Amino acid sequence: MAELGERQTLEPLILPRMDNRVRSFAAAAVCLFLILLIPVAALMAGSAGVAPDFTARLVPPDWAHWFGTDQMGRDMFARTAKALTTSLWVGLFASACSVLIAVVMVLVSAASGRWMDALVSLAIDATIGLPHLVLLILICFALGGGPFAVTLALALTHWPRLARILRAEVMQIKQADYIISARHFGKSWAAIAVGHVLPQLVPQMLVGFVLMVPHAILHEASLTFLGFGLEPTSPAIGVMLADSMRYLTAGKWWLGLFPGLCLLLFVLCFDAVGNGLRLIFDPRTAQT
Amino acid sequence: MNRSFAGWAGLLFFSTSSLIAGAPAFAKNDLVLAIGGEPDTGYDPLLGWGRYGHPLFQSTLLRRDADLNTVPDLATEWKLSDDRLVWTVTLRPGVVFSDGTPLTAEDVAFTFNEAASAGGALDLTVMEKAEAVDDLTVRIELKRPWVTFSENFYSLGIVPSDSYGQGYARNPVGSGPYRLVSWTEGEQLIVEANPDYYGPKSQFERLTFVFTGEDAGLAAARAGQVDMVSVPALMADDMIDGFKRLQVMSVDNRGLTFPMQEPGEVNAQGEAVGNAVTSDPAIRRAINLGVDREQLVEVVLNGFGRPAAGPADGMPWSNADAAVTYAPDEARAMLDAAGWLVGDDGFRAKDGVKAGFKIYYPASDAVRQALTVVVAEQLKALGINAQPTGASWEQIERFAHQEPVMLGWGSHSPLEVYSLYNSDWGGVGFYNPGYFSDAVVDAHLADAQQAATLEASYPHWQAAEWDGETGFSARGLAGWAWLVNLDHIYFTNECLDIGKTQIEPHGHGWPITTMIDQWAWTCD
Repeated sequence: MAELGERQTLEPLILPRMDNRVRSFAAAAVCLFLILLIPVAALMAGSAGVAPDFTARLVPPDWAHWFGTDQMGRDMFARTAKALTTSLWVGLFASACSVLIAVVMVLVSAASGRWMDALVSLAIDATIGLPHLVLLILICFALGGGPFAVTLALALTHWPRLARILRAEVMQIKQADYIISARHFGKSWAAIAVGHVLPQLVPQMLVGFVLMVPHAILHEASLTFLGFGLEPTSPAIGVMLADSMRYLTAGKWWLGLFPGLCLLLFVLCFDAVGNGLRLIFDPRTAQT
Repeated sequence: MNRSFAGWAGLLFFSTSSLIAGAPAFAKNDLVLAIGGEPDTGYDPLLGWGRYGHPLFQSTLLRRDADLNTVPDLATEWKLSDDRLVWTVTLRPGVVFSDGTPLTAEDVAFTFNEAASAGGALDLTVMEKAEAVDDLTVRIELKRPWVTFSENFYSLGIVPSDSYGQGYARNPVGSGPYRLVSWTEGEQLIVEANPDYYGPKSQFERLTFVFTGEDAGLAAARAGQVDMVSVPALMADDMIDGFKRLQVMSVDNRGLTFPMQEPGEVNAQGEAVGNAVTSDPAIRRAINLGVDREQLVEVVLNGFGRPAAGPADGMPWSNADAAVTYAPDEARAMLDAAGWLVGDDGFRAKDGVKAGFKIYYPASDAVRQALTVVVAEQLKALGINAQPTGASWEQIERFAHQEPVMLGWGSHSPLEVYSLYNSDWGGVGFYNPGYFSDAVVDAHLADAQQAATLEASYPHWQAAEWDGETGFSARGLAGWAWLVNLDHIYFTNECLDIGKTQIEPHGHGWPITTMIDQWAWTCD
């Protein structure tokens, strides 16, 4: 009776968690679909959005041009889709590189001694200590801009936060009984790091990766907006927003509104996917 | 009784107050201007201050009126010797600097000698020496006849020989209509009328120049904070209540440079020189013929400009016969005849060389970017693959000798034409980055410089542009593809009358101050 009573009282607590998980899955699936839709839309647009049409300059949104056209008569919908595709690639590559850097550093510090760990900690603190955007601008400026420079700059600046989380995780894992046993059996720290620690880090890595993508995309847009990122003639959200500034006072609201809104939605979608993953992987929210 | 007294008193009060309000004694005597023009190197004429627009703090030997005719300023007489090697200038008596010291021939000679040794933005290399003959007479000797030397009489502000030195650029002392009150770098410059100025007194006692970006300037105008603001062409349609739009014609041009040499050479700085495509005259001429300049004005300048045919359109030394009209079919035929044939990708090629190049433009300049993008699009129709490439000025400097660049010039002196096309100026700054060099053009330019007067030199400048057989223009060797002349747009308070304006040189903003002494407030 007592058991049953407990169960009954527990049910309502478990259900919302179940619900949460399903909801997270659903949200993540929808967002993923939307994210994948953008490159397809960009591909289908062909040369629209890049080729100017001087007879249709600064046309407000209508059925032919959903987001209107810009000062060169380029379709803003196609241009936005192309810009987001570039953002997506830059974000994905930069985040993947960042995760790789973070994991390698953490595993090396786990496999080596205290000195290496101190060095990695120092690198993390030093990189976090510097203002993000300043570092990004410096690297991009030194490399002369362009997609490669932006990706590299983002990769080199975004790893420390994840590295810090992973390092804490590793310190905890290193205390676990099976690690101590493995050590007693004579396994090297390097083998333990790859064989036993790395698999434990995968969920953190995945969540960290997905949450880093929107962050990287926003930084790519700000860098480009400031003129240090992608080519000023290429379709990029930063370029479009910077261009739109000149026309805002002239009442051409669609130039900034739609790319800005799309960037916001895009980033929120990624955030939703990341948060969904986090909810699923986190033992406190994912247990049933 | 009381009530009627109050009524009369009230009527009296209103009528007197309205009378006072209508009195001219209350006319506005200060102006706030957001027209940019803050110099990087301060207000030192020897470092280039006053080259465009009025130097405000200093005065020059000569000036140009609204029609660009020469009028005396500090000089009352100026004479070139028969051998064209000695200028004798007589000064106006009784002129004092704003610190109270008299302005004499000594100061003028000092200014010219210092400017020559400073090697600033002005070209004084041809000057042998300047010396004061007496208090009011200056003698300037030249190394060789050089008609454009007189340009320095219009643009070199005279500085005091006694007090000129370190820190002058921040605390200028001169004999101009205004003196400096304060300058906060990057923010504002405040000047007030110079009570010792010898010329006609300006109606405005105090001027404040605010150095803001375009957006901030416009926002300030909307809030009624400024009386004049320079406006980019793209925003020129967006009128502000209480303001009128002033559209000033200019020779502020934009054009494409062409590297003239075949690739393979390296200049003294170790930079590569030459381009396999633009070294072919057929390509350069075809581009000049096939670019739709009217469309450029419409799309990029919002209609506020005019097509450009040369570096000095409308100036007395430019040659109207040198202009070409838009003829894309002729351009395509010209390319076909020269062996540039269209391939499968729609672009031309000749002997394995693709008809393509980069066009560099300063990434921070929205107008040049738009011009480059539209030109690249127009060139596609000719079968030429041009890639717009934004870069910093430092990067552009490195590549300017091997790829076309979107540059801009425009001056009140034909000296600029000389610098753009003379062989000696190849690779010097951004004047002749393509190393344009032609013996016939050089000879015409030399003849122009040897002329007795500026007026007598005009036919030679025109011949350098197009002499019926060759020239630097699009009809001849097509050293550049000049594209557009910008109109400079200003929104001014409806009450501010700035009178007739000059056709403006390069630089949108400060040149409007050239005739500042004739500005007037027309409202009560």
